[in-house]
Amino acid sequence: MLLLTTLTSFAQDKEATITLSFAKADSVNVCKALVTSEGVPVKEVSVSLFVKRMFSQLPIGEAVATDSTGVASFEVPQDLPSQNGKLTIFAKIVDDENYKNTEASGIVNWGTIIVSDNSKVDERSIFAGRNKAPIFFIIVSLLSLFLVWGTLIYAVLQVFKIKRLSSANN
Amino acid sequence: MSEDNNKPESTKFETFTQEEYMVMKDDLLRPMEKIGLAGKVWITFLIMVCLAGVYAYYIQETKSKYVTVSLRDYTMWGVYISNFVFFVALSLVGVLMSAILKMTHFEWYRPLSRIAEVIAVAAIMLAGVSIVAAMGRPDRLYFLVTHGRIQSPIVWDIMVIMTYLATSIILLFLPLIPSLSTCKNHMKHLPKWQLKMYEILSFGWEGTEEQWKILKKTIKILTILVIPLGISIHTVTAWLFASTLRAEWDSTNFGAYFVSGAFLLGVAAMIIAIFVFRKVYKLEKYLTDMHFDKLGQVLVLMGFIYAYFNINEYLVPAYKMSGLHQHHLLNLFTGEEAPFYWSVMFFGIALPCILPLFRKMRKPLPLTIIAICVFIAGWFKRYLIVIPGLLHPYLPIQDVPESWKHYTPSLIEMTIVAATFAAMLLIITLFSRYFPIISVWEVAEGKLEGKEEIINYK
Repeated sequence: MLLLTTLTSFAQDKEATITLSFAKADSVNVCKALVTSEGVPVKEVSVSLFVKRMFSQLPIGEAVATDSTGVASFEVPQDLPSQNGKLTIFAKIVDDENYKNTEASGIVNWGTIIVSDNSKVDERSIFAGRNKAPIFFIIVSLLSLFLVWGTLIYAVLQVFKIKRLSSANN
Repeated sequence: MSEDNNKPESTKFETFTQEEYMVMKDDLLRPMEKIGLAGKVWITFLIMVCLAGVYAYYIQETKSKYVTVSLRDYTMWGVYISNFVFFVALSLVGVLMSAILKMTHFEWYRPLSRIAEVIAVAAIMLAGVSIVAAMGRPDRLYFLVTHGRIQSPIVWDIMVIMTYLATSIILLFLPLIPSLSTCKNHMKHLPKWQLKMYEILSFGWEGTEEQWKILKKTIKILTILVIPLGISIHTVTAWLFASTLRAEWDSTNFGAYFVSGAFLLGVAAMIIAIFVFRKVYKLEKYLTDMHFDKLGQVLVLMGFIYAYFNINEYLVPAYKMSGLHQHHLLNLFTGEEAPFYWSVMFFGIALPCILPLFRKMRKPLPLTIIAICVFIAGWFKRYLIVIPGLLHPYLPIQDVPESWKHYTPSLIEMTIVAATFAAMLLIITLFSRYFPIISVWEVAEGKLEGKEEIINYK
């Protein structure tokens, strides 16, 4: 019984290899995955495409089954953010009835380059440095300080006026 | 009441009236005549505690702070900061007892105002000391001025504290001028340096009509100024917490919550202060049972207002119990800090709200005991505001040394905190020994204006 199941499981899963090719057709990015097993193209195998992100992989589109020539064709979106334009694309066969889990990857220059918007760095803002505080802050705080300290200085001057009014000074 | 009604013909006396002079001679200048043995022992004790604090600070600065102080990565604010908040709250007693009562014509403020102002000045000075003790690099204190950003709540806090300190000192000093003149003239047996001090500080006061007019007008302007100033000082201190994104502090309620707590604490401090002063200086005729009765009623009022803000602060997030607040709130209500939290709530809020409702509880001794409970619970309440939340950050605490997960103040920290209290009491004690602690001309003015209730309350 044990021998039978082991034989069957080995018979179930065959090795497969995926070869990726990238092409641009009519301004559409096309990635083709050729699945072969023992040198022979395999048809009707479900292949999924992923693009590498920072912590995991982002699936692209639905899983596509290979056609009669063993090729699965995917359209890769043109607006995937990337570092320096490079994308790492993975093609995988996962949980297929007949073939073991396989994956292949390739690097292609289809990603968009992100440019940081540094136009507002020099602007006055609440998180800016000491010299770029919002004008409103500066005006209100200085005004309040002058008003209050002005009143205090007035009070001190009044005390000196009391002294001037004393008969020792008159 | 016009100014002229207060000036009977015989105003040759520089302070106020003949009656006031007689009164002052007997009662209010007596504490200044000499310092008795008990006074000397008390002052020596306070100086010892202050010196212990200075030594503790020296150890803190010269040895590694990791060893001397319990502040770690998560609890980067500890008892120094909660002590600072406590002292800023305490300093609002000047606003409440001196300014607000005066402006709203509650005439029984009259004996209390100078006591309130002294407590306010002493407390705000020690608040500054407490902050500097908390600094990792106190040698960089001046950076706050040279590199400070006007957008920072810390810079606002410094500006407002400095301004409030200056205002409180002036408000303490201005009504003192007439009294100093009397002290100079009628207590000839005091040491020469003391008399010289009175002479300089009384600024040639002679009690002429012009001088009175100037003095009263200036006092009135500053009294009106100090009310929004005092409220803004504690609001800005509250914003030190509320302008952060920490879940336990990110509340729009904080400004009003802190100010109402400050008023409650101020009333409690006032009750304790007048109980002590009337016992030690035998001032029962001036700090009467009526004052305790009224202060007890104010305690209830402030207690209810503070309870209202506490309900807003705790019940609303508890109702939602979002993930951000969950650990912190459950920890306070039913977890590790629960006995601590509920005792603070009971002694700090429930007690002053309920007990002084009964007339028997508004007698001096019971009310003072209640006030002491409120005072101590007030310090621990501010501890509860500052520290438990720091131990429940957004990302769970993982893979850190054991000492980072709990906070218990170290001996050095507690010594410095005790020293700040001792320093405050020392300032108040020394002030009351060298200057009259009750503003007699204000009391006499009230009597002259027929406001009998301020003294002869039945």
